Amino acid sequence: MLNFRRLGQAGALGGVAAALILAAPPAQAASVLEGLRHHATLASTITDNGDLNPYAVVVAPATSGKIHKGDVLVDNFNNLSNLQGTGGTIIDYSPASGSTTLFAKLPQNLPQCPGGVGLSTAMTMLTSGWVIVGSTPSADGTTATKGPGCLLVFDSNGQLVTVWSGTHINDPWGNMAVADNGSKATLFVSMSGYDVPGPGKLDPATGQPVVVNKATVLRIQLAIPASGPPKVTGQTVIASGFAQRADKDVFLIGPTGLALIGSTLYVSDAIQNRIVAIPDALTRADSAGTGRTVTSGGLLQRALALAATADGHILATNGKNGQVVEFDPASGKQLAAQWIDSNQAQSPPGNGDLFGLAMAPDGSGFYYVEDDVNMLAKATP
Amino acid sequence: MYDGDAARRLARIVGSTLALGAGVAAQPATAWADDTNPAGAQSGEFVETPVGPGAAAPAPTAAAAPGPAAAATQAGPAEFVEQPVGAATAATAPTSPTGWGPLGFLSTAAHSSNLLGDMWGLRPFLSQYGMTLSVVENSELFGNLSGGVRQGFEYNGLTTATLQMDTQRAFGLNGGLFNASALQIHGDNLSATNLYTLQTASGIEADRATRLWELWYQQKFGDAFDVKVGQQSLDQEFMVSQNAGYFINTMFGWPMLPSADLPGGGPAYPLSALGVRARAHVTDDVTILAGVFNGSPAPNTVGDPQKSDPYGVSFPLNGGVLAIAELQFVYPGPGTVVKADEEDPLARTYKIGVWWDSESFADLRTNDLGQPLGNPLNSQTPASHRGDYAFYAVADQMIWRAEDPDRNINVFVRPMFTPLQDRNLIAFSLNAGLTMHEPILGRDDDTAGVGVNFTQVSSGATGFDQDTAFYSPGVYSPVRHNETVLEATYQYQALPWWQIQPDVQYVFNPGAGIVNPDVPTQKIKNELVVGLRTNITF
Repeated sequence: MLNFRRLGQAGALGGVAAALILAAPPAQAASVLEGLRHHATLASTITDNGDLNPYAVVVAPATSGKIHKGDVLVDNFNNLSNLQGTGGTIIDYSPASGSTTLFAKLPQNLPQCPGGVGLSTAMTMLTSGWVIVGSTPSADGTTATKGPGCLLVFDSNGQLVTVWSGTHINDPWGNMAVADNGSKATLFVSMSGYDVPGPGKLDPATGQPVVVNKATVLRIQLAIPASGPPKVTGQTVIASGFAQRADKDVFLIGPTGLALIGSTLYVSDAIQNRIVAIPDALTRADSAGTGRTVTSGGLLQRALALAATADGHILATNGKNGQVVEFDPASGKQLAAQWIDSNQAQSPPGNGDLFGLAMAPDGSGFYYVEDDVNMLAKATP
Repeated sequence: MYDGDAARRLARIVGSTLALGAGVAAQPATAWADDTNPAGAQSGEFVETPVGPGAAAPAPTAAAAPGPAAAATQAGPAEFVEQPVGAATAATAPTSPTGWGPLGFLSTAAHSSNLLGDMWGLRPFLSQYGMTLSVVENSELFGNLSGGVRQGFEYNGLTTATLQMDTQRAFGLNGGLFNASALQIHGDNLSATNLYTLQTASGIEADRATRLWELWYQQKFGDAFDVKVGQQSLDQEFMVSQNAGYFINTMFGWPMLPSADLPGGGPAYPLSALGVRARAHVTDDVTILAGVFNGSPAPNTVGDPQKSDPYGVSFPLNGGVLAIAELQFVYPGPGTVVKADEEDPLARTYKIGVWWDSESFADLRTNDLGQPLGNPLNSQTPASHRGDYAFYAVADQMIWRAEDPDRNINVFVRPMFTPLQDRNLIAFSLNAGLTMHEPILGRDDDTAGVGVNFTQVSSGATGFDQDTAFYSPGVYSPVRHNETVLEATYQYQALPWWQIQPDVQYVFNPGAGIVNPDVPTQKIKNELVVGLRTNITF
């Protein structure tokens, strides 16, 4: 049932928070990518238990517990056997020391999370120190045995404290967008698992796994008490009807990247190979459907994670080559692409290697992961 | 197809908004609903079920408690379930989806990247120390339907075990990689028994053996420079064509010229040599690869080099020096920018290289007195030459990319030559071909290819043949010139750990035109070779 009074309060607070956090974009700016030409591999993302396939990249906004501000958290989606949807580890890379430590490790079978644990690209750390991670789990590495998953809440020492699940949470998949003012926060999470069958169920017309237009973007409003974990104070499906399907190589394809600029949420619609905008994302009380197309095709090749730059542009990683694409969301103009993974062992180079990325908070570039070598890397000037 | 009605229905359903009371944490266990609808729990809109650390333990009995599972059963799927979790949870739940028992790996084998999954716990154990273990079996049945010395099929197989240790994961040393690999070579050798070709039919053909292959340590110094020290097989890094690697004929891997001209065939499968290799990324697009190795991979360069070092542990350092350098240009390199209004150029890799070996090399045509070796009455001690060298180039170029870039076509060409024709059997060799990824729509992990190998024997070798014919007029002595192999192959990815590869080759002028030992009045006739290889990653 709707609770418009609380919705309005939360929306207003979220709007204020977003305004505080996100600077208004200038009308025009040069391409960020053209100024970031160096690429350094920083650390292996493989953990002691052999988990593989790094997905989410999150830069810590604050120092808390084991985490220092500026640390980079990366989770793994696969286990040692490279079964997708079975990874359960998060590493903490310290740019200051260059060292990597294990932040958290979960068992694959976690009863509180429907289907188990397979940590996805949906991860964030709040300024209050809580780390929230999505699970898109599978028993056999395909969507044939997937569960709806959950959102997992860790304290800043890597202890799992709370698990959120429910009908609005069905395979949290892409990178989160967040508006966070400390005592309250708003999360945006794409859900790409509704009624997705196994990869063997093919559409006769395309020869590809059947497409199901049921993916959503969920807004979750949080209250963060002085002690104790965040509390969910509201859930709203603000976008719906996105295409999603199984894939034998990349588990599933659906709306993935989210980036919040002002009150507009930008969503990468991977199957349609486009970026869409959801207006009034912080306050709207209903679903905007699949939103308004901002840009499509061109340099995009199955756009995945998104990250907003300080100039108000957006970077999108490509799933089908090793490029990251920069576009201006205001005009919809694609500005440039850059090869950040050019491994010629794949064809085209870097095909299937990229997923998560995150801007470095000091403006020194952006972090990204390469799952062909299971490494965290950084693009710098 | 887009189902508009369904989408609208879905939008009506999921577009509903649910606001949750901030005071939920204070509520007791069991169901609770938002303040506008106290019956919400019954309608399934919101259920919060705090569960104490003890109840949150993952034992199946937890579901019997008045927890979320019970609520979901009674009221249908809940819109929201919050479950505090005890610290013990992560420590007590099973950690691997792999089934139990000796055949437990079968439960995940259909989708695992290796057949044996965690290998009964061995791989997780090794992973604690930053180590990974790879075991790959290549098995094939190849035969010639026509031509050759005789017709028939032979089974041939190779098991390769590789253990690597990432020193950063093992003990915190950034950029270090230790590698040890061993080979178990089984089966028979079709090229030696039936074909008598220069360009042997399969890259895994070798003497039966269980032998050490590579043993090296690599250290990176930043991202721009790394050094590798130890026993190395040069075919893993030098003269490599990415696209040629899909083919089965040996010469698409380690090429004909060094196979024939370097002592012992050079440090390449199944041999290797001690040495040092450095790699410098001069720019994002340009890399220099250079190394110095023992001049021969085997302690004895006379006879079968594999038999002179049957276990690969001789580590010879008694030869001369093999020095090799390669300049690589790659597009795209990391950091390459593509403007939105520009065509995204197609990927390509170009390499040029040179090797030099300081060992002694026997003259093919002239003896140590300057007389023709082709005259059986002359001394058969060949003249000796110090040193040898050759030049090579490799080009891989994508030429077509579909709208879905998984589907693309690439070409490659790899020529090499040496001007020193007096001491080398092969003066020129060439590999070229075309590969297509996703040749059948939807089979995006498959690759099809057609290729050609050409090799030209040196003037020294042809001169020897001419001399032999001159000095032995009653004996059929054809003059060797060249050999050509056409190959068509299809690599079918059956499962992530299993490839099946049917293959057909046709050899023109086997052995470059040598006498059939079973019919001394004829050359060996052209050969049609067919076979099937399978690759299994354990």
